[in-house]
Amino acid sequence: MGKIKSAICITLFTLLIAALCFVCAVSFSYGTDGVHTFNSILRLTAKDADLGAKYGSDGYLGGGYTVVYYPEGVISAKEYEENSASYTDESELQKYKDRYVAYADGAIYLDKDEVCGGGNEPAESYLADFDATYELLFDRYANLKKDGVRLEKRDKLTVSVFLPKELMQNELYAFTVHSYTGAVTVRYGTSTDSSAAETVLPARADKTIGDYVKKFSSRTAADGTAYVVIDFTDLGREVIAAKTADATSGTLFFMAGENSLIPLSVSSQIDQESLYISGTYTKESAEICATALNTALKGDGQDYLSLTLGDSHRSEALYGANALYGLFIAFGVCFLAMMIFFFVRYGALGFAHLYTYLIMTFIMILCVWSIPFLYLSTETLLAYLIVSVVFSACNALVFERARKEFALGKTMTSSVKTAYRQNFWHIFDLHIILAALSFIVYGIALTNLSAFAFVLGLGTVFSGLCVLGLNRFMWAIMMAFTRNKGRFCNFKREVVDDD
Amino acid sequence: MTKRPTKLLPVWIAVSAVILIAGIVLFALMGFNTSPEARNNKTVEVSYGVAVEITTGAEEKLQETCEAAFEANGLKPIHENLVVEIDSNSGSVTGDKKLVYTFSDSATGAALEAARAQIDAAKSEFPVTADIFVSVHGGEGSLFGESIWRGAIALAVGAIVVLVYIGVRFGIGAALTGLTVCVHDSLVALAFLAIARIPVYAFAPLLYAGVAAVVSLLLWLVQCIKMRENFKEPSFKSLSAEEAVAESGKTALAWILGVGGAIALAIAVCGGLATAGVRLFLLPALVPVAVAFYSSLLLGPALHVHVKAAFDKRKLKSKRYIGKAKAQETKD
Repeated sequence: MGKIKSAICITLFTLLIAALCFVCAVSFSYGTDGVHTFNSILRLTAKDADLGAKYGSDGYLGGGYTVVYYPEGVISAKEYEENSASYTDESELQKYKDRYVAYADGAIYLDKDEVCGGGNEPAESYLADFDATYELLFDRYANLKKDGVRLEKRDKLTVSVFLPKELMQNELYAFTVHSYTGAVTVRYGTSTDSSAAETVLPARADKTIGDYVKKFSSRTAADGTAYVVIDFTDLGREVIAAKTADATSGTLFFMAGENSLIPLSVSSQIDQESLYISGTYTKESAEICATALNTALKGDGQDYLSLTLGDSHRSEALYGANALYGLFIAFGVCFLAMMIFFFVRYGALGFAHLYTYLIMTFIMILCVWSIPFLYLSTETLLAYLIVSVVFSACNALVFERARKEFALGKTMTSSVKTAYRQNFWHIFDLHIILAALSFIVYGIALTNLSAFAFVLGLGTVFSGLCVLGLNRFMWAIMMAFTRNKGRFCNFKREVVDDD
Repeated sequence: MTKRPTKLLPVWIAVSAVILIAGIVLFALMGFNTSPEARNNKTVEVSYGVAVEITTGAEEKLQETCEAAFEANGLKPIHENLVVEIDSNSGSVTGDKKLVYTFSDSATGAALEAARAQIDAAKSEFPVTADIFVSVHGGEGSLFGESIWRGAIALAVGAIVVLVYIGVRFGIGAALTGLTVCVHDSLVALAFLAIARIPVYAFAPLLYAGVAAVVSLLLWLVQCIKMRENFKEPSFKSLSAEEAVAESGKTALAWILGVGGAIALAIAVCGGLATAGVRLFLLPALVPVAVAFYSSLLLGPALHVHVKAAFDKRKLKSKRYIGKAKAQETKD
């Protein structure tokens, strides 16, 4: 390539890298008193619950939400104290205090009649119902399949749940819907009030809801519309068809206990095996709704405790406020070490590696930012760390081969050509194996292993393209300016002994 | 005279077997040391109203009071977090906050109760409207099993597919050794974590098994590339399987040390410079890298000597057979 063309290319690449660096990594405030903020892509990228960073004036990406579910008859110590303080009449206060008994070292208070059967310890039947309710919640939250979801029994009789903030869009909806523990029923009425509607399924006392409804599931159409799908049995279809035969402006309520989960407007007869209900659902909220109904359907006949949503809190990065910045600094140190190695060993050829690596890194940042299911986490950063090593090793492999060829007396062009030709299949094998392993693991695994694998796979693909394509191009355009190409790359000819 | 590592297969097998058996036993008895996760934990929660936040220095003072109370009672929180209360329907902030101090399950109830009482007694030093409330809780976390078994299947399927590719490109012998080494590394890494009781997050062991599989395949591939390159050379034709693998291993040594060392160094640097939470995740990741090092330099080549010898023998037999057949043909 000619010098002019090379100069143009280098200038363009430099400008591209500078622009990408600015967009990806630089944040600043501007305007009067810095009221406006320019947020870098890194700041705007979703973070998992363990990492987090501020963006804009008061925004925060990362961390998560915690709620505590209190089953019927159980209140927190704080609530107990606040209620006690509200009584002015001493006898009323005593009556209130007699009604409750402290439990789990005073962390919670139990209604003696409702929970303990009049005694001071929870009744066996209540404990069994609580265990069943915990299992129901476990199934519902496990079905979310999100990285960072945590569920724990707190104080033996409450349930604490943590959901990551950035990896979900409907956390609060999930908290609410998953607290609905009653049996599934279908009601039909002409008003929008579900409590006034008539129960149509189960239609007979000797039948269960499972005789009418096969399952609830969710689907997402190609255009992105999300549906909750209800599959009726033949009997269920018949009953619904009969009930809605003369419908003009009714509502069909799909209930979990006394809570309406799906209010479906009916203007004509419904006579279908499967009902696809859209509306304002997203893929995630449709899944949450279907899971809540399906788990309630499967647990039909089981006694579940009704749950109240208690203390709800939002927390920031679980690894600490500076965890992300600490990781960036660590990455910076590794990057510096890598560049020192390349500049010391290969001289100005290190620039070719630097340019290619920076472009690959910025492309990866843009991918993690723009691909909806990707996020910044220690796992994804570890994956990129491995990709960086593979990329550097492959570049070093090519450079070393070229060094050997050059030492034997070949021209630089011939050495580069031979180095790439001889190492092509090695680099190809390395990348194809890593990418295949990564994408297979991504396809099967869940949560953080899946995210790790996808970033590793994506990074491997970019690494392969950069090593075999971009890096060679960079080498060619950067070397065009120098007469002494060997010196440029820090390559030396082998000294031949005349003797 | 020192023996070549390729001749010491029984030693490497014994080392791996001891680690694996001890690891399985300890895992069955005690599981992994997931203390950083604090799945079974105790917490002291100090909630307070907006009055504390708007009073200059009150938040810091409350924090100091809590820390002093824990220190006085011999308690050391493994994690502390400041959370803000939200409305569970709208997600809007109510203004109240809560300091959550997490302790390991071994923290005694009496010490926690004493600390709680001490913090409670200090309430009078804060504004009347501070609304400070201190409570002690016990938690028992659950682990979602599906992600674990699906992760294990994913790694197994991925490794098999990749080794089929290695089989096609480098020969069935290399694939068999690679498969053994890959499975070995994943299991030994997990066993070592169980034996050494290295503190890990609950989700992390499977990820470390994944890292072990990836690094192991990477380093074994370097060996395979070098072996294929070297075995084509005429000087290697006359060598026995043991000598050929050992000689090839020498040429691959620099690359294995370079690639594995760079990964280990990068993880160590990141782990060393990162905050405590990240360090707990990154530093144990050195275990799978170290195991992959061990197997690619010692166990893998020693095992491959026998695999290569068996395949060479088969190849030779097949050659002899063809020779006889041809001879018969000529005779006929």
